[in-house]
Amino acid sequence: MTKRIAMAQLTSCWGCDQSLLDLHLGLLELLPELEIVYWPAVVDFKLKDLESMPDESIHIGLVEGSCRTEDDVRLLNIMRAKSKILVAWGVCSCYGGIHGLANQWDLDELVDRKFMKADTVTDPRLPSENVPPFVSNVQPNVDVVDFNIMLPGCPPTSKNTIEALSAILSGKPFDLPEKSVCDQCPKVKQDKHITKFHRTHEGRIDPNKCLLDQGYLCLGFATIGFCGAICPTVNSPCKGCFGPVLRVKDHGAKIISALGAIAEMTPEELKDSFPDPIGSFYFTDYAASYLSRMRNKARSKRK
Amino acid sequence: MLLRFGRIRTAMPTGVPKSLTAAGHKATSTQRPKAKGETDFEPRVLAFCCNWCSYAGADLAGTSRRQMPPNVRIIRVNCTGRVDPAFILDALSQGADGVLISGCHPGDCHYTSGNLKMKSRFVLLQKTLEEAGIEPDRIHLQWASAAEGDVFTEGITSMVERIKALGPNPARKD
Repeated sequence: MTKRIAMAQLTSCWGCDQSLLDLHLGLLELLPELEIVYWPAVVDFKLKDLESMPDESIHIGLVEGSCRTEDDVRLLNIMRAKSKILVAWGVCSCYGGIHGLANQWDLDELVDRKFMKADTVTDPRLPSENVPPFVSNVQPNVDVVDFNIMLPGCPPTSKNTIEALSAILSGKPFDLPEKSVCDQCPKVKQDKHITKFHRTHEGRIDPNKCLLDQGYLCLGFATIGFCGAICPTVNSPCKGCFGPVLRVKDHGAKIISALGAIAEMTPEELKDSFPDPIGSFYFTDYAASYLSRMRNKARSKRK
Repeated sequence: MLLRFGRIRTAMPTGVPKSLTAAGHKATSTQRPKAKGETDFEPRVLAFCCNWCSYAGADLAGTSRRQMPPNVRIIRVNCTGRVDPAFILDALSQGADGVLISGCHPGDCHYTSGNLKMKSRFVLLQKTLEEAGIEPDRIHLQWASAAEGDVFTEGITSMVERIKALGPNPARKD
């Protein structure tokens, strides 16, 4: 029996779809088992088609992106109502994504900066027609509705998505790995004696040695080992885009904790090494952090 | 970890004559009348004290009857190096107005360097708080040895004063 599948895109770059399509001919093995009932990126179904389906009539719902507009919130709730198994597809859906970093500012500051003061704007005005209103802050989707499966990644690799879909299709449980990126990374790890942190473009990287040992901020130690360590393998430090290791609530706090222990630097030197700690330590999961939640609480109290 | 901050209970236990303290002295109200412009804000401060220095220092402050504001709840940890920055953020997120971490002086750590690791974490965490738009002074790191009941008292007093000046945690639930 084919399973009915719906894929919904909230505010996002749609990179998760691209990652799935990267399977190319590999998709042919999976497609006969699926009946696509909603997927705006590829097939022409409208929102009203999705709305007219009975509740829980979709076997698998994949939700990509996070809620930046009120339409996103509406679509997310519809997806929850119509889907039996709802999957948070990609790090935006799981933890808020890169646009969660916007939670550092209030909505009016963001709108002002983007639409009124952007350097390339010559005729500043706020779009008012045919656009949904913004919500005041980005929340992880799991805070808005319940999900059955988390599938983090920016984007989840084609293999990740296939593994999850195959598990659902065959009725097997799907669990995220317990390990970190370092467990998957082939580089040789030694005792850490970090006396200076370098930017990625500085110095020469020894391709056989651990990037963190060489003083590059590689966040594999705090990041869930789900990607296969694709970045460090090719000498690009891990940015933590798959989100924290399982059961870690605050990615950045764990990174700070580890850096404080392994850096052989004075506290002042360490502090000066990271001009933008939130951007460096909470690349894709700031919306799920304690700090962002605190700001949101304070904001909603002010109203 | 779960932290719950209840309201400070000021009522005397029943059965105790209200005019007498436990030591038999005549009770003098510790709640002096509020000066003009002074608010009712009583900060709730969480303190992580290390077992080997500051917790013993807090004990000494108590046994030597040093007066300090009652706004601080102490959690004993084996070493300040055990204090994960996530604990501090969790406390603030649940409504603590300030978090104080009190450990051994540099060089005195029972585990050699736990306090120095905390210091490194602390400066990074303070910078992160600042970038997130939360007053970095809500968290404070101090050193107080087991013999320094007075330093501990002074640390608590100035911490509470600092938080009173900052006002309540904006994320605090009323």
